[in-house]
Amino acid sequence: MTAEQNDFAKNVFINCPFDTTFIPLLRPLIFTILYLGYTPKIATERSDSGEARINKIRELIEQSKLSIHDLSRIRSAKRDEFYRMNMPFELGVDIGCRFFKEGRARDKKCLVLEKEKYRYQKALSDMSGSDIKNHNDEPEELVRQVRNWFVENEIQHADSGTKIWETFNEFMADFYQKRQDERFKDRDLEMMPLQEYIRFIHEWLKEKSK
Amino acid sequence: MSKKPGKGTSKRVHIISRKDGWAIKKQGASRASKIYQKKETAIKNAQKLRKTGHDVIVHKKDGSIQKWEKPKK
Repeated sequence: MTAEQNDFAKNVFINCPFDTTFIPLLRPLIFTILYLGYTPKIATERSDSGEARINKIRELIEQSKLSIHDLSRIRSAKRDEFYRMNMPFELGVDIGCRFFKEGRARDKKCLVLEKEKYRYQKALSDMSGSDIKNHNDEPEELVRQVRNWFVENEIQHADSGTKIWETFNEFMADFYQKRQDERFKDRDLEMMPLQEYIRFIHEWLKEKSK
Repeated sequence: MSKKPGKGTSKRVHIISRKDGWAIKKQGASRASKIYQKKETAIKNAQKLRKTGHDVIVHKKDGSIQKWEKPKK
């Protein structure tokens, strides 16, 4: 297997909101992917203002065999707020890539997450009959669902969802302590670029495995 | 990173959100020692370990840090 093919097999495109309301789910999601030995690919990983977002997304989808789409925030949460179409749009591009592209794109697999089990059918009935997992907005449940999906589709064995969740909590303590030592404030942590967070997890897991 | 994760100078005990309540878990232990329905009860019980040199780290539901209590001297 070439390095490029290997990257393709290990890359996981993440399609979810990147605002602060989703951070409680995004952090354990990214941690779980890295814990299982895969590479999260997110649209915010390059911040070139001159690059059209759709081109970046297309490239990430093409580079990733696996993808995780979270539709739990497509519904507007308050009056006069628009519903959010980026997530179902990117899911459509990803599924389209699998349908219409030749070669390795045919091996692509995706996990679709929602808050409640059948809610998505009201907004996206084209996906009826698909196996969609729900996390109830619970970070621990999200970890379990993502871990189970990897075991069902990609890997033979993985630590339990509970073990990964507890390890994530221990990681957060080290993360918090190190950032405090470096004089980061809580707001700095909230606004931290995801790539920096990913690098930190990488180093932490590497150290832990020694 | 200069030191191995979780291998600092102090011992740690975590209060972690679980589906069925709040767990007390000593760092390095293979599993949580006990699960309490109420977070306050878990914290109260974990705080007893401060006398034995443990840091007590209380996590929020999303795993982030709510409170970090140092050992009692």
